[in-house]
Amino acid sequence: MSRHRLTVVLSQAPGKHPAKRSLEESLAAALLMEPGVDLSIVPNLYDLGPDHTGRLYLEGVTGDLAVLTWHFPRAAFWLLDRIGVKGHEGETQLKPASDDEDEADEAPPESQGIGAAGALPDRHIYCLDLRDFNTADPYLAEVRRIVAECRDRAEQKQSANGVAQVVQLGVPAKPDANGHAPALAAFSPEQLLAPADRRWYPVIDYSRCTNCLECLDFCLFGVYGVDSMERILVEHQDSCKKGCPACSRVCPEQAIMFPEYKTAAIAGAPVGAISGLKIDLTKLFGGEVKDALATAVEERDRELVADGRDAVGMAVGIPMRQAGKAQGPKDDLDKLMDDLDSLDL
Amino acid sequence: MGDSQPADSLTFQMGKFAAALPADMRYCRNHMWCRPGDDGVHRFGFTAYAIRLMQDVYFLDWCVNVGDVLAVKQQVGNIETSKAVSDLFAPIAGKLTAFNQDVLKDPSHINVDGYGRGWLFEMAGDLDTTLDVHAYRAFLAANWDQTQRILKGQMGE
Repeated sequence: MSRHRLTVVLSQAPGKHPAKRSLEESLAAALLMEPGVDLSIVPNLYDLGPDHTGRLYLEGVTGDLAVLTWHFPRAAFWLLDRIGVKGHEGETQLKPASDDEDEADEAPPESQGIGAAGALPDRHIYCLDLRDFNTADPYLAEVRRIVAECRDRAEQKQSANGVAQVVQLGVPAKPDANGHAPALAAFSPEQLLAPADRRWYPVIDYSRCTNCLECLDFCLFGVYGVDSMERILVEHQDSCKKGCPACSRVCPEQAIMFPEYKTAAIAGAPVGAISGLKIDLTKLFGGEVKDALATAVEERDRELVADGRDAVGMAVGIPMRQAGKAQGPKDDLDKLMDDLDSLDL
Repeated sequence: MGDSQPADSLTFQMGKFAAALPADMRYCRNHMWCRPGDDGVHRFGFTAYAIRLMQDVYFLDWCVNVGDVLAVKQQVGNIETSKAVSDLFAPIAGKLTAFNQDVLKDPSHINVDGYGRGWLFEMAGDLDTTLDVHAYRAFLAANWDQTQRILKGQMGE
C-alpha cells in the first residue's frame, strides 16, 4: 500500500460568484473522498498576506502539490514561488476545450529567463485553472492522473536509489515524526478560510525574466528591489497601486503578471497563445490607439498624481530599447496575417 | 427581442459575410446598435458588423458603474474575443442605468443573439448623434476600405 499523498489546495474565487462557488463546492466534495489526496481550501491565493493561516499552511506543505485557482497556471506557479512555495513545474494535461484549434499545438517560445532563485526542492507543483471547465469531472480526472504520476515518479526514484526507505515526497523542511509536514494537522479548516483582504501586486515569471531591471527603473512607488544576488524582486508588494499594471507593459519579456488584471496577456496567459495575435479594434470602436509604453506612462502618472506627487511623463525610467523593438517572432506575424485573411476582408 | 434578424433588415457585405442591420434600430459610429426606449432609457449592443470583426467573445469587463454619468466616447470597459481585443466607449452622453448581467456571466449571448439577449447596457440620454439604418450602412460603406487598411496595418508596426 503506497503512502504517497498529493496535497491539493483549492483557492477560492474572491467575491460570491454563484457559478464559481458551485464548482468549488462540487470539487471540494469529490476531492475530500478521493484516495491519496489531502484537500485544503484557502481564500483567493493572490490575496493571502504574510500572516494568513492559509499561507502558513502552504509554506508547510513539503511534498507534491496541486493548486486549483481562478488564475492562469503561470501566474499561480510564480505566485507560489514568490511566497517560498517552490518546486518543479508539474505539467498539467488539462486543456480548455474551447481553445482555437489553430493555436493548439504551438510550442511556447524558448525562454531566456534567469529561472527561480536557489535550488528547487525535489517536488512538483501543478497549477490548474478553474476557468477552463465549468464542471468538476475534468479536474477530478486530472488530479487522479497527477496522483498516479507523482507516485510513479517517487517509486522510480526509490528503486533508482536502491534503498528500502519510507518514501516521502520532497525534502521537508520541518517534518514531524511521521514525515508529514506539521502544517497538515495544525490548522483547522476555519483558520485556513479566514477572510483575506483584496491585494494587488505584480508577480514575476522568472522563467522569462532576464533581470534587465527596466521595471525597477520604471516603477516610482518602490515596489521593486533586488535580492542579495542582485536579482530583481517584488520587494514591497503592498506599495503597488491597485489596478495599475504599468510595469507589466514596459517589461520586454512579458515576465510581469498581474494575475487579476482584465486582459489575459497581463494576467499571465501562456505567452504566444493570446498576446500578439489579436487585432486591436479600439480605433474602430471609437478610441485612440496608444502603444504599450504610452499607456504605461499614463497609468503611472495617474497614480503619481493620486499620491499627491507630480506626473513625470516620459522623463523618468523610460527604457531605451523601443526604437528597434520587434513586436514578436515572425511566426506570430504570419499568423496574424492568416487571421486577417480568414476574415475575408 | 430574441429574433436576431427581423424581416425588415438591411445587410452590409463584409467580403463574403453579410452583416444584418435591423431597420427598426438606431446605430452609433462605434458599431453599437441602439433600441430607443419610450421612457428615455435606451438599450445598446454590438452590431453584427462589430461581432463579425471580433468573433467569439471570451471576456467582457466594465470599468464604470450603474448610475455613472458618461461623456460620449468615455471608456466604459474592454473586451477580448477569439480574434481581437478592444477598449469600449460610451456611444452617447448620458447616465448609465443598467448592465446586462447575463452577458457578463456568459458573453456568448453576444455571438448567439447580438441584437437580442446579447445586449450590453442601457443608458438615459440624447440620441441626436445616432444614425438610422441607412445612414449607418452608408457609414460602413464609406469607411470599409480604411477599416481594412487599419486591420492589415497592424501587421506593419
